[in-house]
Amino acid sequence: MQIDAVDVAAEYEALLQFLYIAPVGLAQISADGDILMMNPISSQLLMPLSRDGALTNLFTALENVAPDLRVQAAGFRASRGVICDGLYIEVSPFNPVGRDPQTLSLTLIKLDAERLMAVLNDVSAQIRRERLLRQNEAWLNAIIVGVTDYALISLDRVGRIESWNESIGRVTGFDNGSVGQPYSIFYPKDCITADRVTDRLREADDSGWSLDDGWRQRADGSRFWGSALISPLRLQHIESGPAYCLIIRDITDRREATEKILRASACDHLTGIANRRTFFEAADLEIVRWRRAPRPLSLLMFDADHFKGINDRYGHATGDAVLRHLATTLATTFRECDVVARIGGEEFAVLLPSTNVQRALAVATRLINVVASETLVIEGHRLQYTLSGGLATMDKDVTDLEALMKRADQALYAAKGSGRNRIQVFG
Amino acid sequence: MTTSLKLDFAQADLHGELEHLTDAEVDELDFGVIGFDADTIVRRYGAYESRMAGLSRDRVIGAPLFTAVAPCLNNFLVAQRFDDAVAIKGTLDDVIDYVLTLRMRPVKVKLRLMAHPDHSLRYVLVNRAS
Repeated sequence: MQIDAVDVAAEYEALLQFLYIAPVGLAQISADGDILMMNPISSQLLMPLSRDGALTNLFTALENVAPDLRVQAAGFRASRGVICDGLYIEVSPFNPVGRDPQTLSLTLIKLDAERLMAVLNDVSAQIRRERLLRQNEAWLNAIIVGVTDYALISLDRVGRIESWNESIGRVTGFDNGSVGQPYSIFYPKDCITADRVTDRLREADDSGWSLDDGWRQRADGSRFWGSALISPLRLQHIESGPAYCLIIRDITDRREATEKILRASACDHLTGIANRRTFFEAADLEIVRWRRAPRPLSLLMFDADHFKGINDRYGHATGDAVLRHLATTLATTFRECDVVARIGGEEFAVLLPSTNVQRALAVATRLINVVASETLVIEGHRLQYTLSGGLATMDKDVTDLEALMKRADQALYAAKGSGRNRIQVFG
Repeated sequence: MTTSLKLDFAQADLHGELEHLTDAEVDELDFGVIGFDADTIVRRYGAYESRMAGLSRDRVIGAPLFTAVAPCLNNFLVAQRFDDAVAIKGTLDDVIDYVLTLRMRPVKVKLRLMAHPDHSLRYVLVNRAS
């Protein structure tokens, strides 16, 4: 049988067109991320992210939005296999009118020692559907799954414990002296603010329920991993008496399993703190809360000074260790209700609910002083580094998260410009 | 005669000049030409672009540009620029740096984006960056 060269050429062209219009981004890259082949959708999705207008390296193109990708790929030891499967990459905060994606999904497969295959997909619409589903699922979970014991607590209109019963004593150890206290007594001090107590009541009013999983605290100060569901009762028109029902369950047993799943999608691979996706989600919610009831809300953005110099001088492994050190310092300096996240290569953001400029500035200043005074010993190198920070606070002129971030970023830029190792407040 | 008429990628009033060229004359140009109508359907596809992309004219003419021919341009850097220009009945004539994926290879190019309320066709011109 003869193979007709004309047929082969036509088939090649059809194949090429198939790849051109395939609705997912496909790219073949080297172990270091150099792009060897890619289709047009890859270029469509990546060009808006490229800092230098080039697309020679996938890891560089995604540096701003998935800074831990290079480490993740380099750390994959097996000779072939899936490095990450449908990893969500948050590109920009939620924007209902934009045509460009907010979330990309990336699958990275190691083919052999030299080649990786990347599959990129715009999953913004899917994410919005998933969020809804996840909430429904959480609600069902809260009701049916693994109920061993729970405390059933009635709250008054402002979230104070309205009456005491057996179950409160059993699960939390509080006695009837707790009546009249806000339900935040069941939370460790750093995990909730007075504003948040009210936020959850308002969210329960709006959607019928409010659910959150996290640390809870017993009367003796010991902690447990608990799930708290608040639901409005239909008696709110009555001036006194119960207005909400709060159910607290101890789900310590299930914590490990959920934490593991959560960490994989919510945390930065290198530093273990929240990633961009988690940050944007939490910050969007905080801005919704601010619109409903304005209160102080501050945003800090930090950048390690001369970080490129550290990388160049001591190598990437040392640079990574510095970033891990910085992440740990941030996580221990701020409260548990603050959102501490890595949002870029050496860029970190901290969102501080119910915190005004003065308080945010005080904590940030303490932080940069601590960092500047410390000497790190990494792989035999003794080194010091400093931080610059920009601080912005929410007000009525700030339209959305992106605008708030822009302000903090401008302040950060000014801090860098005026000599580094300092915090600059916007405006 | 064609050489004396030959247009340059960067020259002024290129949009008006292109309107007067026949398809055969467009094929003579040494940069890529993609002309599309108000519904983003490709109406002109020069030989140079056809060679670079590896697609024959027949496969491309009549297909929607941003979804079926060059989905890589469907973002705020390119497609949005045309939408914005058309929305205000304005003129667009700008050169941007871009990366196209010609035959699956990333290639740095300069794109010239042109839209004008007096001309029925809009153009994306492609010049390989030297």
